Amino acid sequence: MSESNGSETILRYRRTPRIIHAVLATSFLILLFTGLALVWGPLAFIAAGGWSRYLHRIAAIGFMLVPVLYVVFDRKSAKEILVDSFKYDSDDVAWFKKMYRYTLGRTAEMPPQGRLNAGQKLHHSAVIVFSSFIVITGIIMWAFKSSLSAEMLSWTAMIHDLSMLALALLLVGHIFFTYVYQAWSSMATGYVPKEDMELEHSKWVEELEHEGAENTSA
Amino acid sequence: MTSAFLLDMSRCIGCEACVVACKTGNELPVGRQYIELIEHTSGTFPNLTGGFQNQRCYHCSDATCVAVCPTGALFKDDGLTRLNRDDCSGCGYCVQSCPYGVPKMSDGRSSKCDACASNVGGGGSPWCVTTCPGKALKYGDRDEILAEAHERVDAIKARYPNAQVYGETQAGGLGLILVLPDDPETLNIPADPPPTPASADLWKNWVQPISVGSTAVTVVGLGVLGVIARRNHVAEMEEIEARKAAAMAGGDAERGGDDV
Repeated sequence: MSESNGSETILRYRRTPRIIHAVLATSFLILLFTGLALVWGPLAFIAAGGWSRYLHRIAAIGFMLVPVLYVVFDRKSAKEILVDSFKYDSDDVAWFKKMYRYTLGRTAEMPPQGRLNAGQKLHHSAVIVFSSFIVITGIIMWAFKSSLSAEMLSWTAMIHDLSMLALALLLVGHIFFTYVYQAWSSMATGYVPKEDMELEHSKWVEELEHEGAENTSA
Repeated sequence: MTSAFLLDMSRCIGCEACVVACKTGNELPVGRQYIELIEHTSGTFPNLTGGFQNQRCYHCSDATCVAVCPTGALFKDDGLTRLNRDDCSGCGYCVQSCPYGVPKMSDGRSSKCDACASNVGGGGSPWCVTTCPGKALKYGDRDEILAEAHERVDAIKARYPNAQVYGETQAGGLGLILVLPDDPETLNIPADPPPTPASADLWKNWVQPISVGSTAVTVVGLGVLGVIARRNHVAEMEEIEARKAAAMAGGDAERGGDDV
């Protein structure tokens, strides 16, 4: 925990997960726009020369590397995203019931949340599921396109497109909550105001204080 | 009224004049051509038979290439399948989906016969038709072309018992009506090409517009909601601050009271 500008902050994301998040964000945005260029007339000229399709494949490698980077360089975050994001407790269920309040910018009466709130867990798990669909269908179209029938190709491309739609909508929601709760600093510097965390992630702050007390006593 | 080509394979001598006329007339660069002549032979010597496959766009009514083209670069017009290369993104779905294997990629974009749209639009004929020395090619109203195809088949039946008209019903009816001296398979042409899969229609006409629409609605909706929600949250934080300040002031007052 540190003090800055008179208000106390907590380290929420260390450098490694922030770098991996940047890899994910960059590759995703490149994939979104180079993919859109293939299927949307006004952007077709970008893809027609062929270079955006190479860029799509390069970004795809970056995108597929993300889980590998987590597992190799940051096991703790890997566990948080891959395991903890799929575990919901009774507070999480209660949180979902009041989610409309959180969406409207009101946190005061929200049930207490841990390091990840229920919405973040759902976001993580949805990103994992739809990214898996994207990767599987993407590899099929990359490596086996020439052996697909018209029907198989349209189904594969349709699942690929729909998964990307889901991820794009999740991104819009992600940006929405980042703006409403001014959460940009968690990925820029890694530090967030303790005051916000006490309001939005009270169980996590308690956990940190408990650990801090244990460390001090030890 | 829709237009169509007549291609009489009993008259095609494989001279490739159509290939050359098409390539020069359409000013196609090296590596691009819309017509390809492929020779097929079958049987064992001395009982050989064979012919030329005049491989070019079949201009299907139920055109799978048009159904899968995401940008609308491929479209139907006057019964023929046109290609506006400026709108092509080079996704290659048409190359993959055509039951006849016609479109090819060239310079990152799809390439195929567009029935000489610019020539015909100006009152001319497609280049291949104007040049064919064997009168194997003709262009005109599809009903008339179809009637002539049947006449030509009747005329060659005695010599070629398997002679038939191809393209009357295939792929919803083709814009290229063939007079074949033998079964289509002998020229490597599918007797019954697979129809456009329903998934292509679902993908292009439903999934794609719904995807774009729902993304736009979400961006606008959450943009407006974002402003409201941010305002709510700021107000809430101010309220909490005020409450804290009041509590602290109250505490100070209490402590002050003790001092007295």
